Amino acid sequence: MERMEPQAFADLLRQAGDKAYNFAYRLAGNEQDARDLVQEAFARALEHSGTYDPARAFDSWLLRILHNVFLDGVRRLAHRSTVSLDAPTPVEDSSWEDILPSKDPTAPDELIRRESIDLVQLALEKLPAHYKAAIVLCDMEGMSYDEIAKIMDVPVGTIRSRIHQGRLLARKAYEELERSGGRRQ
Amino acid sequence: MNGHADGPELSAYLDGALAPEPRARVEFHMSSCADCRAELASLRHMKLALSSAPRRNLPPDLKLALERRFVTGAAEPWYAAALRPVVWAPAGALALATLVVGFWLHSASTLEEVPLEPLLAAHARYSAEALVPEDNLVASNYSDQLSDLGDAPESDLQ
Repeated sequence: MERMEPQAFADLLRQAGDKAYNFAYRLAGNEQDARDLVQEAFARALEHSGTYDPARAFDSWLLRILHNVFLDGVRRLAHRSTVSLDAPTPVEDSSWEDILPSKDPTAPDELIRRESIDLVQLALEKLPAHYKAAIVLCDMEGMSYDEIAKIMDVPVGTIRSRIHQGRLLARKAYEELERSGGRRQ
Repeated sequence: MNGHADGPELSAYLDGALAPEPRARVEFHMSSCADCRAELASLRHMKLALSSAPRRNLPPDLKLALERRFVTGAAEPWYAAALRPVVWAPAGALALATLVVGFWLHSASTLEEVPLEPLLAAHARYSAEALVPEDNLVASNYSDQLSDLGDAPESDLQ
């Protein structure tokens, strides 16, 4: 693997690290997968750093790699799902300790607080990967349609359609979650 | 524009991603269409909810792990510098020398602290006992020596 100059890498990490992690977290929906995504994305970025065009924004280039890493994982997961249809559902696989209320009196309040904060995240989890990525990049990262098209490697017209469809799906999921008090369904 | 505004076009209008001509067309349509204005307001509400969600920043430990994994010599842990031979070799030699000197000083001070009087008394006692022959010597060698002295010619005694 080609090593970068320490200062150059530190600068790029400072510049794009937070954005990459936020994107990864919104795509993956949990911290551990987000960490794995970011590490793999940086590994691939450094491995292919010879192909990086300095005229292009580094964070867009990194997010494109991260998105590809995410899609690879989604495809692997989809493949596994098709061959393991008999796998137990999460509820069936849970123990009684997981299902019964915790003895910690602060736990329910904390859960409600977290879920109200993460209502958007819960809504995002209900979206197909392409729509989710498009609205995260547009509405959370504030990127232009052109930048998003380059990251997702599709025409701008496709991005425009995905952003709109993504917002409609997210709105539907968000409203359902609000009605149910933020509980997963 | 017949009917309502195109959905993706409405989103693009919200994002400021329309060229001047289609933007003017959408604005003209909405001026007379309450449904499209309501749809635009709903889309704006969703966009606001998404954009105001708390950001997740790169955890500091992950940042450190990335730097350690991919950058040579950057952002090492605080103890990493102390593990380099250029640091610990002289430090180790100095510590060893300190130990040796310390041990020597301790030994010297220990010797000084031992009282000499009992040792000298013991030495004197052993010296005195050495002059007294053992029993068998009294029975044999000592008397033999005395008789030898008596038998010896006078010339030998002189």
